[in-house]
Amino acid sequence: MNEFLEQFLIESRELVEQATGDLLALEESPQDHDRLDSAFRAFHTLKGAARIVEFDAMGRVLHAAEEMLVAVRAGEHPVTADLISDCLSSLDQVVQWLDAIETGGDLPTVAATTVDALLQRFEKADARLAPAPVATGWAEPLAALHPSARTAIRYAPDEGCFFRGEDPLSLLERVPGLLALDLQPTAPWPDLVAIDPFACKLVIVALSTAPPGEIASLLTTAAGQVQILALAADAFSSEAQALLQAQLLLVADREEENFTGRFAAAGNVVANVLRAQGRASHADALLRLVAAGDADGFAAALQNVLRGDDEEAGEIARAPQDVVARALRVEVERIDALVKLTGELTVVKNAVGHASRLAQGGADPTALAPLLKEQHALLDRLVSELQRSVLGIRVLPLRHVFQRFPKLVREMSASLGKPVRLLMEGEATEADKAIVEALFEPLLHVLRNALDHGIEPAESRAKAGKTAVATVLLQAVRDGEHVVVEVRDDGGGVDLDRVRRVAETRGIASADALQAMDEASLLELLFAPGFSTASQVTDISGRGVGMDAVRAAVARLGGHVSITSTAGHGTSVRFLLPFTLMMSRVMTVESGGQVFGIPFESILETVRIPRAQITQIGAAHAFVLRNQTVPLVDLAAALDLRGADEVRSDEANIVVTSFAGQLGAIEVDRFGERLDVMLKSMDGLLAGMGGVAGTTLLGDGRVLIVLDVQALLR
Amino acid sequence: MTVRVDETGSIRLEGTCQIDDAELLQRLLLAHPAAAVDWRDCEHAHTALIQLILAARRTVRGPSRVPFLEKWIAPHFHALAP
Repeated sequence: MNEFLEQFLIESRELVEQATGDLLALEESPQDHDRLDSAFRAFHTLKGAARIVEFDAMGRVLHAAEEMLVAVRAGEHPVTADLISDCLSSLDQVVQWLDAIETGGDLPTVAATTVDALLQRFEKADARLAPAPVATGWAEPLAALHPSARTAIRYAPDEGCFFRGEDPLSLLERVPGLLALDLQPTAPWPDLVAIDPFACKLVIVALSTAPPGEIASLLTTAAGQVQILALAADAFSSEAQALLQAQLLLVADREEENFTGRFAAAGNVVANVLRAQGRASHADALLRLVAAGDADGFAAALQNVLRGDDEEAGEIARAPQDVVARALRVEVERIDALVKLTGELTVVKNAVGHASRLAQGGADPTALAPLLKEQHALLDRLVSELQRSVLGIRVLPLRHVFQRFPKLVREMSASLGKPVRLLMEGEATEADKAIVEALFEPLLHVLRNALDHGIEPAESRAKAGKTAVATVLLQAVRDGEHVVVEVRDDGGGVDLDRVRRVAETRGIASADALQAMDEASLLELLFAPGFSTASQVTDISGRGVGMDAVRAAVARLGGHVSITSTAGHGTSVRFLLPFTLMMSRVMTVESGGQVFGIPFESILETVRIPRAQITQIGAAHAFVLRNQTVPLVDLAAALDLRGADEVRSDEANIVVTSFAGQLGAIEVDRFGERLDVMLKSMDGLLAGMGGVAGTTLLGDGRVLIVLDVQALLR
Repeated sequence: MTVRVDETGSIRLEGTCQIDDAELLQRLLLAHPAAAVDWRDCEHAHTALIQLILAARRTVRGPSRVPFLEKWIAPHFHALAP
């Protein structure tokens, strides 16, 4: 990618961020001229940037949006939810394009229909001010009769279209795969004598098996008068999908005998399924690949068809990819500090060189020692300063992840019909880049839960005397070496009786055990795999991914999630995260003659107990710690380092850790010291090795392997 | 002339019937309130003409030689015709 584009990407993302913030603020307070001006400037600058890199499509879309904002500034157009949505979707599209540039390294090719669809929204914005609402149910009655239809078309020609030389029906004659065509007058026909023969008074609704993209490109001359709807049949039915997937597996293993026969059979099944789903053209194309014996091509093409990755349909459906911010903007002061440190380090290097020359020249070691000691102290200070500075560069404000939520919460709030206000605090709180970037998914899930389950429906809120608009607070605070991110809602709190019922029906715990549990233990059940309090699976709260996935994601970052709830007052989910992933504090232990590191955050305590207290339970060991049975793993045995005839001491040194809310313990031969280390994760051949969190070098040059305790106890 | 009243009293559409024929068709429909429309020799009918026939609710004598018209438009005439 050339520097020009790189710069364009960085700037555009900032401008999109600014514009999004302004638009959302504008929706809250439509009279805020400063925000309006700021949004306008952002759009204007973005448009200019697009023109500079000659990204025409982006320029056009932004121009249309900018024009709308000009109209708003001139007082010709009020700030409506639709207007905000239109502007936000143009920004969404821009972000998708930016992502495509980032992954592809060049300007993406943009389908004309994508741009037209966006432009149309702005063109229609004025028309939408008229009270006539856009009817949505027009496709359903007809589509119900034709389940194989992929696309519904509603063509409402302008009255004056005949004068422009348009002939709506002959345009539809070109639509392939017509399944139905309905003609309706816009109003009941008047007497024949009263009809203006040159005014078109028809509305045409049609269904086709052709994909929406293809039809859109055929009907471009009637743009603005046509609505094109992708129907559910555009996706495969679940049975068809399962059949196609099965064929895909069938052709995957090429080594097996009779592959040719299997391939041909699979090809036939696929072709039949596709025909039945109204995809004759795909069926033919795939059969040609079968005939050519091109199994790879066949598999790839079938995968594309399954993904719906053909024509523009694929483009529309593509989910926005998570593009990790690769470029960092660093303040000049931080770079300056590094330059200064480099200078100081050079001075120390020269001093050490001087000392080594003295040593070579036969200087008295006792005279040399203080000199070396002094240099070491200096070096120690400089290196830790360097570490801090470099880590500081990797640090990002949480704003990077927070800024995406207002828009998403707004959408969720609209789709759930629950008015919600998202408050954000502490966006400027900083954390390691890797942590900030990995927080999006877990936080989104928790926010979804808050809106979906936490916040009560409007009636219950009114009954409880709460404001109609619910509040969700997203807050970040720096707490020593940790960053705390909290999502708090003012909903009804977790219904503990429901938790009990669900846990019982899902077989997570017995009824007796559940009755005996206190509130904290019940809340802990929310993190149990497979637990979901939603009685029905909604669009919003994901399928199959529950709080257990959130906890796992946060644990991967070295953090911890907890939940608290007050009945009637709301729920709070708290993420406790390390400030940085790179520096960790470990305790060294010795086992089987080797030194290992155990991350400090996973250690609850160390104990020394008489060996007699360790009991064998089947093949495993356990001991009792303060009336609680704790499973015990002998580190040396687990790593196969224990000699068979080794004499064990009478006392066992044990590291107690917490694992998924339960205690676990590791027996080691000796406890070592506490170290601050910069962990290097395993790569290359060892990348997939379990049980190891990373490595670092000890002062004497040995490699210290830092253990992943959770993985060892699993 | 592509729109005319034939010897049987039907209004005939012949060949390519364009928007220019709309006014004439309307006049003929008004002048012959009971006449059927015969589009067997019609090779193309502009939307404006189809709209007029629909509004007049006349019997249409087919089949049309144009598959599109026969398949998708003709049923609407039959549904409306008295």
